[in-house]
Amino acid sequence: MTGFQDRRDVPAVPEPQADLVPGEIYRRPAGPVALPAGREAITLPLLLLTVAGLGGVRVAATGTIALVPPSLVALVLAVFLIAALVRSGALEPSRLVGDWRTPLENASGVTVLLALLVATAQVFTLLTPASGLFAFVFTAFFALLLWNTLAADPDRPRLLRSLAVVLGGAFLLKFVVLAALYDPDGGVLRRVLLALIDGATLGGAPAPDGPVTGYLAFATLGLYFVGLVLLPARRRSWQR
Amino acid sequence: MTATGLRIAGLCLTLVYAGALVRVYVRQPSTLSEAGGTLTSAVGAYRIDRERFDAGLQYFRQDRFVEARDAFAQADPARQDPVVQFYVAYAFLRQGWGRVYSDDALYTQGLEALTRARQLAPGGTIRVDDDNLALRTAEELQAEFERGLTRELSDFNPARLMRERP
Repeated sequence: MTGFQDRRDVPAVPEPQADLVPGEIYRRPAGPVALPAGREAITLPLLLLTVAGLGGVRVAATGTIALVPPSLVALVLAVFLIAALVRSGALEPSRLVGDWRTPLENASGVTVLLALLVATAQVFTLLTPASGLFAFVFTAFFALLLWNTLAADPDRPRLLRSLAVVLGGAFLLKFVVLAALYDPDGGVLRRVLLALIDGATLGGAPAPDGPVTGYLAFATLGLYFVGLVLLPARRRSWQR
Repeated sequence: MTATGLRIAGLCLTLVYAGALVRVYVRQPSTLSEAGGTLTSAVGAYRIDRERFDAGLQYFRQDRFVEARDAFAQADPARQDPVVQFYVAYAFLRQGWGRVYSDDALYTQGLEALTRARQLAPGGTIRVDDDNLALRTAEELQAEFERGLTRELSDFNPARLMRERP
């Protein structure tokens, strides 16, 4: 490197720590900083598994439920998203798995990564219509946006904001706009729009799930973002 | 608790939770009570309502099969107990059984209940020691359902009129 330093590697302001003394010079150690054991071993896996479980629940208007496992394309999108998390510094895998950790700690870290993969895949499955042209459009939309995110190489706050917009937008489209179009109490305008959509998608617009699914999806997305914020970000401790 | 203790507890908890979720997804429950029952049975905490089950058995022995199935449904709302589901299947069999012909719709529902019961049972087999039953294993019951649902030349054998109800 020619003197250039990535701003994500060296924070402008050191993280507040109790033992920092003003006026002293600090340096970064070679090793990454471990997560608190409770967050890594209990909070994150259980939170992400809850997202994975809730993400597949579809409650029909009649009250019957269906459980949808992650689709293959959702798993691929999840890998893209995790790659974006790693590049942005929102996820630092070496804080979860590495030579410097004991086998038990590595097992705990791998659990978090696997839970993150399944939870992310379930979030994509949740936000993508089940079938038809809309499923293709949503998937292409996600793939292009993630590709763009990888190319833009944002930092952690920007990536999290971008994800909030992308996933929140997809949630609004699927559970608010499409659900409103299929509302049986809607008026003439709704029927005209629905006819247009059915025509444009060759009748392939899937009927949305019941309203309970929307509330569950909202809670699932909220939990997922809490999980993303709790993930071990790129960060190193400072030593004198 | 030490960090190692936390990690061991976390791994165990995660494995149990993940296993329960996989089990629920594999079972594909169709109602919330079934989903709850599948989760609780995954951790061995599911119990049937013994009182309602006994009431169902009383109805069953009095040939009041609709009432019996209703009581069995109350006893095992999540449909997680293989023995209760075996009796549900048997109730469909006895209600649908006839000397001349069997009711295909009831037999099909019975076969579905039996399939569900066999999926729940360890090893896929069930044995019920009940003197009131002619068929006491899941295999015998399944064969009877399949015979009833299959059209074959022996269906026209007049000797069928003399056979006993299973």
